[in-house]
Amino acid sequence: MKRRDFLRFVGMLSGSAVLASCGSRKRPGRFVSYILPPDEGALPGEAAFFPSTCTECPAGCGLLVRVREGWPVKLEGAPGHPVSDGGLCIRGQASLTRLYHPERIRNPVLRTGEGRYRDISWENALSLVADALAESRAAGRRSFYLAGRTTGSLSELVDAFCRAAGLERAPDFEVYGHSAIKEACALLFGERDVPLYRIEDADFLLTVGADMLETFVSPVSYTRALSRAKEREGFGWVHVEPHFSLTGANADRRLAVLPGAEPHLLAHLLREVSGGGGRGRRLPREVVDALPGLSAEQVAENTGLSAQEVRETADRFARAKRPLVVAGGVSAAHAAGLETAVLAGLIQWATGAIPDLVDFSRAENYRTVGTLRDMATLSASMERGEAGVLFLSRCNPLFALPKESPFRDGLPKVRLSVAFGDLPDETLRAANLVLPLSHSLESWDAVEPRRGVASLVQPVREPLHDTLSEGDLLLAVMSRIAGKEPAASYRDRVAAFAQERYGKDGWKTLRETGHLAGPAPKKGASLNAGAAAAVLRAMRPAREASGPVLVLAPSLRTFDGRSRGLPHLSEIPDPLTTVSYGRWLSISPGDAARSGLRELDEAAVAAPGLSETLPVKLQPGLPEGVFVLHRDFLDAPPVATDGRTGGPIEYLPGVALVATGRRIRIPVLSGSPSQHGRGLIPDPAHRDGKHRHERVSLYPEHDHKEYRWAMAIDLDRCNGCSACVAACYIENNVPIVGAKDHLRGREMSWLRIEPFYEENGQVDFLPMLCQQCHYAPCETVCPVFAAYHNPEGLNVQVYARCVGTRYCSNNCPYKVRRFNWWQHRWPAPTDRMHNPDVPARDVGVMEKCTFCVQRIRQAKDRAKDESRAVRDGEFTTACAQSCPAGAIVFGNLLDPESGVSRLARSARAYRVFEILGTEPSVHYLRGRKREGGT
Amino acid sequence: VIRPTAAHGLLAFLAAVLVLTAGVGIARLRGLEPAPGQPIDFPHTVHAGTLALPCDFCHAFAARARHAGAPPLETCMGCHRAIATEREEIRKLTRYYEEGRPVEWNRVYTLPDFIYFSHKRHVKAGVECSECHGDVREMEKIRRVSSLTMGWCVSCHRVRGASRDCAVCHK
Repeated sequence: MKRRDFLRFVGMLSGSAVLASCGSRKRPGRFVSYILPPDEGALPGEAAFFPSTCTECPAGCGLLVRVREGWPVKLEGAPGHPVSDGGLCIRGQASLTRLYHPERIRNPVLRTGEGRYRDISWENALSLVADALAESRAAGRRSFYLAGRTTGSLSELVDAFCRAAGLERAPDFEVYGHSAIKEACALLFGERDVPLYRIEDADFLLTVGADMLETFVSPVSYTRALSRAKEREGFGWVHVEPHFSLTGANADRRLAVLPGAEPHLLAHLLREVSGGGGRGRRLPREVVDALPGLSAEQVAENTGLSAQEVRETADRFARAKRPLVVAGGVSAAHAAGLETAVLAGLIQWATGAIPDLVDFSRAENYRTVGTLRDMATLSASMERGEAGVLFLSRCNPLFALPKESPFRDGLPKVRLSVAFGDLPDETLRAANLVLPLSHSLESWDAVEPRRGVASLVQPVREPLHDTLSEGDLLLAVMSRIAGKEPAASYRDRVAAFAQERYGKDGWKTLRETGHLAGPAPKKGASLNAGAAAAVLRAMRPAREASGPVLVLAPSLRTFDGRSRGLPHLSEIPDPLTTVSYGRWLSISPGDAARSGLRELDEAAVAAPGLSETLPVKLQPGLPEGVFVLHRDFLDAPPVATDGRTGGPIEYLPGVALVATGRRIRIPVLSGSPSQHGRGLIPDPAHRDGKHRHERVSLYPEHDHKEYRWAMAIDLDRCNGCSACVAACYIENNVPIVGAKDHLRGREMSWLRIEPFYEENGQVDFLPMLCQQCHYAPCETVCPVFAAYHNPEGLNVQVYARCVGTRYCSNNCPYKVRRFNWWQHRWPAPTDRMHNPDVPARDVGVMEKCTFCVQRIRQAKDRAKDESRAVRDGEFTTACAQSCPAGAIVFGNLLDPESGVSRLARSARAYRVFEILGTEPSVHYLRGRKREGGT
Repeated sequence: VIRPTAAHGLLAFLAAVLVLTAGVGIARLRGLEPAPGQPIDFPHTVHAGTLALPCDFCHAFAARARHAGAPPLETCMGCHRAIATEREEIRKLTRYYEEGRPVEWNRVYTLPDFIYFSHKRHVKAGVECSECHGDVREMEKIRRVSSLTMGWCVSCHRVRGASRDCAVCHK
């Protein structure tokens, strides 16, 4: 062969090899026909929305489920919903992954021994349950039904089930059962429930320990209400807490009180307002006499606050026309928790907040929720070997109950423990029989998150696995016991429930809108002065000194630990510390210096019943002598039970910290807790007139004809809750990369929350996303024109063009571009969660936020069909849709009347790094705190 | 005479690797043939040609949605309950319908998943079906007549004055 021929031959071969590998990127797919034409209005390739209800936590927020070709791909908040009104929190967003979770229990499982399990059929499982029930009834044993908070239609069915099967229904098990509030309301007003606090109508809010923005009863609802309250001139918010929470970080003023000393402050406030006047009522003599008569100085001494802080708070409170105090959370979970709650109740009564601001007519339906005391009763019966069958549904007592709880020893003595659930957890692993529950997106139900408020849970697809909804499951067991088919499906029972409770149109309205509200006549309350005085008389006059205390705080990301299994909630960092994966102990910088610990040094933490080694995270603003551990970091925490409220005491006294000398690498995603004076959130102190330059450009000006998309973010409303981040991850198929990549600084979030701490412990949250600069530094350095400016003002990234030089990322002053270091995998069935409107990015490609360009495209398409321009507010980005605080507004800057234009013109508006001349399209609005407000 | 040396061995090895990859590549390319076989031998010549049915009689979503859509089997059966029931292909169709199985047609026109394309927008802009799909009345077997490459799309967008912003098509 001649050399030339050889080269020709090799050239042809390699050419065809290269060509073939280019062409075979995707094999031609299938093109599937319908069998019957789809319903009118359903179009292939277009999303359909179905109303439903989030079941990730007990709050019951409304959902709009976006479904594409039969697969739910995104959860949105349902506008107008009586609880959440359009917002959805980080957990709610992430709960979609529960449906597709690869570890979901797919069929009934029988436990055959320690760590050994066998799959069985539903037929066998139901027979097993029915036989065990019959046997235990014959032997005279007691059987129990224990579940997480259950309301509405399912609660009725559970009662019917218990009657039919001869079960006793144990009070619902919730870690955050608000037992102190319920006990106080029962003592004072005869209402054993958590009232609805109408924050939006108050002009001054004092929250004591209640983490309204994180886990307190209904966080989305309260965040919305706070945003509405802030719209009014003169609204003020003071938060009192022993530790440091996201809620505290967002209050106008945060008072760090000594743990357990809240009643001293509240008693002082009560004295100040006890005289009645205005809308207030005069406190009965008996109650006033029982109040400790301490001066502001003595209160300051007892609470660890300054006398001035005590006086100012009392003064502010007394001046307010409609003041509201809300106590709960960690401040009601210590030995003086009942006093805290009772005093808050008395203040509410004395200031006339009941019934307008503290509304029992729309109480939060926590009556069926029990306490640890109730669990002790159940456990004792189990331990004595009296229990025949124990049903455990949607709860994880083995994880959450105190270490010493007799429940742990009692469970193996139950003849048959039957647990219902979706993801494996401690309780499911220990139960004899596990029956898999369908996800709420596969089930029918009508929940009642509040008294007289119903919300529909409806299936948007067939169950993915061999699972049943709890309603259908109970009906199946009932029919097995009765030996005949059930009279009605669970769906029919839900319909009957809605009709019976809410009138004959109940079901129709519920189907159409997803929610219903019955009438709620205002409910007054009469005060039981004797009971109040008795509690106050037992109050200790002075606080006993105590050593360092460990506070078990609720977690924004996993609530009481129930959402631990959802990958997004580990990938998205905790907003206060920016730690994503792993466990840590938050300590104050002062304590760290004293014990010779630096950030992420490992410490041996010892307290009675607790011995752990944890990395420490320095938390600015945290008082000395207080350590914070999220409750979900501890399996079976060594907490005590409060004898009076029955709730857990979430404080561990006598904590000792010893450095082990090791360092633990956990990912801390924020580069620095400080702004270093760069004016990311401008402070008058940072203002600098020197850096103003004439703009000189070598590039042609951008011309925007019809649209120029822009965003306004109100930092006064933004509280760092990270719901937007979760929404962005799911909307845009942002890959989850795990701890290892986070440690290398390779997280992929398109939108992140950056906390910035000031010297005085004040913290501001800055949501940072692609700023869609008008003069974008990324665009000019892209050698392949993958990053370019589009005619509507977006910095578009054409993924198919990108060759991965990463110049753009280097040149971006905001550090919002993310590089794909791997070809990310989506194990089945999580690939079905993909938003088909956003492509999966390949390895070696840069990606970033483009203001949800797929939503813009859709809105323009719709507008074009109707021969009009896109209207303001017609659509919005995923982050703005989810924001419970309504902090993000998106729209067209060319329309001077659009919401975003108005906000961009506001006196509070600024842009990050204005001196760089990038002219971002994201306008931030400085918070009021910065403006020198309350 | 050429004496085999180590260099020759290496060259031979490289050539073998090339032949193999090229072979695999060509085999995969065959998957992209412009006129794949179909589970049912549907003649557009009869339906669109002889009977002159309009395109959207079967591809009902073309003017309303992103995807034109394959006809629901119910549409086929509307006529074929009575017509030509004895033919093998119609029997196949009836079996699909009666067993409640959808027909999985092989795609002739495929776009990568990073492309947004809407039939509706093009139909509403007055683009005739045949401009991209050719004259199917003449096609015994449907074959791809346009390359669907970016250059091909852009050339038409340019002529018609349609938007040439990347983000219009690139997701």
